[in-house]
Amino acid sequence: MHEPSLFTGLSEALSILVLKREGVSRSFHTLHSIPEWYRTFLGKSLEDFPNLLPDLDSPFLKHFLPQVHEFLDGQTTGQLTSGIWCEQGADGKDYQFEATAVASADTQLLLIQRMDRGELELQTVLQTAREGGLQHQRDMAEHKQVERQLGGKLERSEQLRDDLLVILDRLQLGTIMTDAQGRMTFVSRVAQELLKLKESDVIGRLWHVIPAFSADDKAALEDMIRQPIGKRTKVPVVFESVRKRRVSLEIDVQQDPRDPQRTIFFLYDVTEVHDLREVLTGQHRFFDLVGKSPAITDVYARIQDIAPTDATVLIEGETGTGKELVARAIHQASPRKGQPFIAVNCAGLTDSLLGSQLFGHKRGAFTGAMQDHQGFFEAAHMGTLFLDEIGDMPLSIQTTLLRVLQEKEIMRVGESHPRSVDVRVVTATHQNLQELVKTGKFRSDLLYRVRVARLNLPALRDRREDIPLLCDVFFRQSRTVTKKMDIQEISSDTMRQLMKYHWPGNVRELKSALDYACIHCHGGAILPSDLPPECWESVDRPLGGINSEVDEREQIVAALTRAKGKRAEAARLLGMSRSTLYRRLDSLGLPTKD
Amino acid sequence: MIQKKVCLLGAFAVGKTSLVKQYISGIFSEKYQTTVGVKIDKKVLDIQGEPMTLILWDLHGEDEFQKIRASYLRGSSGYMLVIDGTRLMTVGVVEGLQQMTQEILGGVPFVVMINKADLSDQWEIEHEAVEGLRERGWTVIEGSAKTGQGVEEAFFTLANRMVDV
Ligand SMILES: Nc1nc2c(ncn2[C@@H]2O[C@H](COP(=O)(O)OP(=O)(O)OP(=O)(O)O)[C@@H](O)[C@H]2O)c(=O)[nH]1
Ligand SMILES: [Mg+2]
Repeated sequence: MHEPSLFTGLSEALSILVLKREGVSRSFHTLHSIPEWYRTFLGKSLEDFPNLLPDLDSPFLKHFLPQVHEFLDGQTTGQLTSGIWCEQGADGKDYQFEATAVASADTQLLLIQRMDRGELELQTVLQTAREGGLQHQRDMAEHKQVERQLGGKLERSEQLRDDLLVILDRLQLGTIMTDAQGRMTFVSRVAQELLKLKESDVIGRLWHVIPAFSADDKAALEDMIRQPIGKRTKVPVVFESVRKRRVSLEIDVQQDPRDPQRTIFFLYDVTEVHDLREVLTGQHRFFDLVGKSPAITDVYARIQDIAPTDATVLIEGETGTGKELVARAIHQASPRKGQPFIAVNCAGLTDSLLGSQLFGHKRGAFTGAMQDHQGFFEAAHMGTLFLDEIGDMPLSIQTTLLRVLQEKEIMRVGESHPRSVDVRVVTATHQNLQELVKTGKFRSDLLYRVRVARLNLPALRDRREDIPLLCDVFFRQSRTVTKKMDIQEISSDTMRQLMKYHWPGNVRELKSALDYACIHCHGGAILPSDLPPECWESVDRPLGGINSEVDEREQIVAALTRAKGKRAEAARLLGMSRSTLYRRLDSLGLPTKD
Repeated sequence: MIQKKVCLLGAFAVGKTSLVKQYISGIFSEKYQTTVGVKIDKKVLDIQGEPMTLILWDLHGEDEFQKIRASYLRGSSGYMLVIDGTRLMTVGVVEGLQQMTQEILGGVPFVVMINKADLSDQWEIEHEAVEGLRERGWTVIEGSAKTGQGVEEAFFTLANRMVDV
């Protein structure tokens, strides 16, 4: 049985009217006495009031009730909300309500909640939110004025503040508020959903702990916080959410109008827009890999083929081609995503150190082993372990690794009982392992074991057409990291230079060249002279990275084909001057005329 | 008495609430108070010698935060699409809304109000664009919730159309 007084109390306290639908008559009865505010709204005294509601003078309810009945007739559980509506009461004042029909196993309820408290705040905040969303269409002055209004309102009382939070919580945009130190004081429902956070886990902690934000994102956001309000722009943040869903946010960094030391982040979910744009511009990103050249899209396809299996992978590619990104992509695209991904660089570690790092050790196993220690294999249990520079792995460790791959068990150093582990191993090298096998530096049986699936990463000079795209991505990052937001673009001369250079350090070198350029740039555009010296001095070098004549001939023919026979264009693609190309053509006995 | 439901639709801050207020009570306020959800008002008018109650559903502006619920529109006998003459983007919003309304309500009558005629020096909408809307067969009225210009006319035109249907 219901306790009428409890309901009455709750109803008054929450400004909510609770009506129960009776099965047979399908009429609604209140579960409590009619609250004062509803009587004022209706302009009737209690005596006029049969305990039967709602009053059908309300055009909105008249419109909503059939939907409620339809919903309750058809549903055994769930709820249907009306959306907020506003009507004039008998007292001439505006009243705002929201109704919710609730179906549960044994009751069918209609809740009518009065929303008037904080009405102005609701409007102001929505207005601010809209202005944020359409910021580029609105001038700053107006925006500021609204903020001031909001500020005035907010200062009035803490009660209003709470209302505000409730409202922010309802908005479709995510909101995060922090105190002056950057500790999160409020994370709205939508923000929690977007960032896959639980409010209880993050309140009181620095916003930097939000796992969806990469180091670059954090740098960009920090930078934006330091900018004066008028200079702020939205910070784009892209990350991988559950089920491989790529989430694109634009984050508007605002000051809390009550206290400029505090920050409010408004998170706009632009995934849909982003996805559409992506479709329009053609697929040019895959996880963190960037590019749309045939060479790199082949890699994307390979990753997709390889990822779902548990096969051990060997990624081969020159230094700086992004082997770790590929390993991460394989992990992310695999059923193991969500489980740990652990990257270990095998170069430069002694046998014993690498051994205990990979497999763990027992306390006292060697001098300095003060505690039992879990190795990377155990840490990566159920996930993926990435062994970079596997060619540098000492032979003794290779032997242990081979056994682990076969037995799916590890033994901590100093222990005698095996522990079973379920780890997918992805390896990478810039060396030719076959050669290492010949010189006895790599075990051939291990080689066959690790390269069950092979993936070859193209050198940057073999996918020059991706350079502008990569530049675009890195330039934005570099500009943010170096705090040179005034730089608007990379000049076309610079871009030509970047396209020509042979990039022995590949994508990594390109990224650091742009960092360098941003640091050295003093104008609105990056000029060739801002680039690191090697990028422009060595442009006329004959074909960096091509070492045999066969390769060179093939490459030149390929470039000519791609350039539809145009020598100048082919020279550009090859990153050599036109005169060098003519010399080469001549020496290879190829025609020199277009 | 006949009651007819009429919805006002458009981007935010185009002046939907102001038009209703001007129409019902002849008041205008410069202060912008965005509508949350829907605001309902009534107005009795005389159409072809018969009194008629218009139930005016002043809906919140359509934007990325709040999409118009289809359920708000059901049962409308007509609607008014409101454009802000000083903001070109509000035309696109109205085009989208017209399509959605058409799908839900079918061919019920509507009029297009291009509001803020008092600010004609700040208009972003060219004469040709207005003509373009008319060429689609839309009834386009230019007016101002501030001065009252065109307001009565717009609602009256719409109400007449609804009776004729
Ligand atoms: N100068 C001028 N200002 C107007 C006119 N109509 C409305 N405004 C102003 O425009 C702003 C928005 O008006 P509203 O009537 O609240 O707009 P709305 O379409 O109801 O907005 P939402 O409820 O947010 O969708 C207010 O500041 C009004 O004062 C007009 O005809 N002339
Ligand atoms: Mg309004």
